[in-house]
Amino acid sequence: MLSIPMPTLIQPRDERTQPARIVPGYPQTRWRNPRQPLVRRQPTLAELTGPLEVARRVMLRGGDIAGHGERQAIGQLIHLKLRVLDEDGAPVGGTVVEMWQANGAGRYLHPGDDDHAPSDPNFHGAARLVTDESGSFELRTVKPGAYPVPPRDGWWRPPHVHFSLFGRVWLSRLVTQMYFPGEPLNGQDRILNAVPDAAARDSLIARHVPPTRDPYNALVYEHQIVLRGRAATPEQL
Amino acid sequence: MIPTGEATIGPFFPPRYMDEGANDLTMFDGRKAKGEAIEIHGRVLQEDGAALENLVVEVWQADAGGIFRHPADPRHAQADPGFFGWGRAATDQQGIYRFKTVRPGAPEGRQPHINFMLMFSGLMRILKTTMFFEDGNDPVLLAVPHSRRSLLIAKGNYEFNIRLRGEGETPFFDD
Repeated sequence: MLSIPMPTLIQPRDERTQPARIVPGYPQTRWRNPRQPLVRRQPTLAELTGPLEVARRVMLRGGDIAGHGERQAIGQLIHLKLRVLDEDGAPVGGTVVEMWQANGAGRYLHPGDDDHAPSDPNFHGAARLVTDESGSFELRTVKPGAYPVPPRDGWWRPPHVHFSLFGRVWLSRLVTQMYFPGEPLNGQDRILNAVPDAAARDSLIARHVPPTRDPYNALVYEHQIVLRGRAATPEQL
Repeated sequence: MIPTGEATIGPFFPPRYMDEGANDLTMFDGRKAKGEAIEIHGRVLQEDGAALENLVVEVWQADAGGIFRHPADPRHAQADPGFFGWGRAATDQQGIYRFKTVRPGAPEGRQPHINFMLMFSGLMRILKTTMFFEDGNDPVLLAVPHSRRSLLIAKGNYEFNIRLRGEGETPFFDD
């Protein structure tokens, strides 16, 4: 079910809640981010529309990526419960979410990852799902390992999960990363700490749910992702 | 609620997410899109002139009639059922992306254009820009300083090169 209150109102974000574009100790950011000031534009119809039902253009891939039985991935089994909301707190249902992460040893299922950490043939590494009417989706995976970032000058990425989401309009497209609570590497990570505002950084960290009975027999984490946009009222148009 | 902070897509976006046909907008739902089929392409370079491989490019555009397939477009009921409007490509070793699409019509009050977004390792935020087919009286083009407008206009064979930083830097939008 697609939940699409229309039209969508998009307002500028508070820059302190978003990462710096140039990050000390992350040299690629210096070569690839514009030197010229970004150009302000009033959003037009092209930005206030966007691809809906992306699942009709791409292949979905199930959210159980940790394997089973003899072919279970190695690592701490976790159950991620996520919700996607808009700025009003309304669920964003029917939108495609792409996730990917390193395996339990900190290695990606990707030809570009030539790290020393072992690959895990039973770990699938990625899922592509559609949120339900409540904006929710769930994943059964293993907790990703940390890994050192080349050229290994002491920067290690803390355990994290990547997400790519579409939402309702072009300007609600989001690529983000989710972190785990209590990780000692969180405080030094150059990407997480590129977000100036402490509360905004905290909102990137999942919540550990005290263990109860879980269908996956896994540690449970909850996380919320807020996409840009709110339902516009007539006087706002 | 505060929108979640962006982060770089990193170097390990799964290759399987570059679905076969995701860069071909000329077919949808078993139908052929109406209008003039074109191939847009370009090279993406960083500051030192190095071509960037595996950079993710996404596009969004109106159909040949200038209509977006989205309920916020007042004319969307007349949208071409054979045109979805969104595509994704990765740059190759030479930094080149390619899309097959149809030449968009002019949405109301606009010149024909194609919206681009770029995602890559080292880009902490999605970079957004817009390709035009010709110069003209378009509110987005007019928002760009005059001396830089030509950088948003594709060359004759629909070549739209993107320089992320440095000489000939492509104008990007703060939105």
